[in-house]
Amino acid sequence: MYCFHPEEIVVERASVASPMFQRLRQRLPEVPFKILDDGVAANGRRRPGEASFGAAKKRLFVAAHKGEFLKKCPGSDGQVCCNYFVINFASNCTMDCSYCYLQEYLSGNPALTVFSNTGDLLREADELLSKHRRFFFRIGTGEITDSLALDPYIGFSREIVPFFAEQPNTLLELKTKSDCVDELLSLDPKDRVVVAWSMNPERVIDLHEQGTATLHERLRAAWRCQEAGYRLGFHFDPMIEYPGWERDYQDMLEQLFAAVDWRRIAWLSLGVVRITPDLKRIMRERFPRSSLITGEQVLCPDGKLRYFQPLRVAMYRTMFGWIRRAAPTVKVYLCMESREVWQQVFGYAPSCEKELGLQLAPAH
Amino acid sequence: MGWEPPASAALCRLALVLKIGENHLRDLMDWLEEIALRDGRAIDTILAGRVIAAIQTDPRLGRADKLKRIKEEVRRQRFPRLAQTEDALRARIAALKLPPEITLSAPIGLEGGRLRVEFSASSQQELKKLAAKLADAADQQPVREAFALLAGTGADTKTGG
Repeated sequence: MYCFHPEEIVVERASVASPMFQRLRQRLPEVPFKILDDGVAANGRRRPGEASFGAAKKRLFVAAHKGEFLKKCPGSDGQVCCNYFVINFASNCTMDCSYCYLQEYLSGNPALTVFSNTGDLLREADELLSKHRRFFFRIGTGEITDSLALDPYIGFSREIVPFFAEQPNTLLELKTKSDCVDELLSLDPKDRVVVAWSMNPERVIDLHEQGTATLHERLRAAWRCQEAGYRLGFHFDPMIEYPGWERDYQDMLEQLFAAVDWRRIAWLSLGVVRITPDLKRIMRERFPRSSLITGEQVLCPDGKLRYFQPLRVAMYRTMFGWIRRAAPTVKVYLCMESREVWQQVFGYAPSCEKELGLQLAPAH
Repeated sequence: MGWEPPASAALCRLALVLKIGENHLRDLMDWLEEIALRDGRAIDTILAGRVIAAIQTDPRLGRADKLKRIKEEVRRQRFPRLAQTEDALRARIAALKLPPEITLSAPIGLEGGRLRVEFSASSQQELKKLAAKLADAADQQPVREAFALLAGTGADTKTGG
C-alpha cells in the first residue's frame, strides 16, 4: 500500500497541545509543520478548489471541529436506508479513487483535515448513546474519510475503540481500503467493533483505487483483525461491470472466504458504482481515460447514474448466489437501492429502515 | 476531453445541416466521447458509420426526423445492451397484439422495474372489454418474458460488456 507522507502539517494554535497533534509530530518527525492562528487556518482550509482536489491531499490540517460529530447517514432519496450513523473525525482521504464522491462533496473544502477535539466527539457520542439505550446504533467513521488510513499517524482507534467496546447498544464500523490495522490489534473490541473493507478485484484496485491496499493486503489485514477478536464487514461497493467482471469477482470471493471465517462476518453489502452528473464532469477532468464513465449507466430518480436496472439486478443476483454458496447465513444488504431492486434481487424488501437496521444488529 | 480537428469538423457539419440545439448537441458530444473512449474509435469514424450516413442522405426524412434517428443511433451505440433490452421488451409487447386503446410501455432507461399500462375508453362497456383483453394478455408468455427482462432474468440480459 502507498505510504502516506504529507508535504506539510498545518495545525491551529488551539490544537497544538492535543494528543492527536503530539502523536503526529512523534510519528512523522521529518514532516515540516506550521502553526497558524485559528481563523487563519480555518480560512486556509476552506479555500475552494485549492489547486486541485489531488493537491489538497498532500497537506494535513489539524483543527478542532466546531459542529456536531455524529450524524445520521444521509442515504439517498427514495432508496432503502440501513439506518446508519456516521462520525466524522476527519475530512477527505489520503487515497485517490477515481469514482470517489468526495471529489464532488468536498469540492468547496477539500483540505485533508483531522479533528483534534476527540474528547468532544466521545462526549457527544456518550450523551446520545446513553440517552437512547433501547435503540440499537450502527455507527461508522468512514463517510468522508477512510476510517483507518491515517491511523498509523494519529492513533485515533486507540481512543475510539475502547469507548465503543463498552457500549451495549452499538456496533462501531471502521471502514477502510487500507491495511492499517496495527493499532487495533492490541485493543479488545468486546464484539462491539466491526472492521470492514471496501472490496474489489485486483484489476479494479489497480485501475481505479489509487493509493489503496492491494486485495491481498486487505485480506491479510482482515485475517489479522479476525484473529484479534474483531468482527468483519465487507462492502462490494462500488461494483464495476466490464468484460470478464464475473471471473474477477468470483475469484475475489473465493480468496475472501478462504482467508476469513465467514461466521465472523457481521455483514456484507452490495452496491454498483454511483456517479452524479457533477461527479462525472469532475472525473472527466481528473481521470479522462477512466472507463468508469463509459458503462451503461442511466440517471435514476435520486439524481445518480447507475447501470440500468436489469443489468445491475443481474449483477447483484450473480454475486449474491456466489456469496450464499460460501456463506449460507451471512447478512447481505444492498446499499442505496430502491425497494423494487431489493425485491428483484432478494425476493423481499425491508418495510422500513429500522427493520433493516435491526436485521444487522448482533444476535443475542 | 479535447476533440481532434476531424472529429470537430464532422460534428460541426452535422450540427449545421440539422440545426442541432444546445441540449441535443451536449447529449451527442457526451455519448460520442464515451463511445470513442470505450471502443478506441475516432469520433469522425463513428459519425461516418453506415447507419448514420444512410440517415443523413435519406431524401424521405426531414431535418427533425434525421436528428431524431441519428440521436437514437448514437444512443444505441452508447448503450448497446440497454437498447437491446428495450427492443426485446417492445417485441414482447407487440406480440400481445393489444388494441390501440391499451398501451403498455416501460420507462426510459428501464429504471423502476415496472410496466406502465394506459387505457382509454369511451364507455363502460368498452372499458370492461379492454380490461378483459388486458387480463387475458397478462397470462400470456410475452408478459412473463417482459417482466423477466425488467428483472434482469431475461435471456436477453447479459452482463460482462
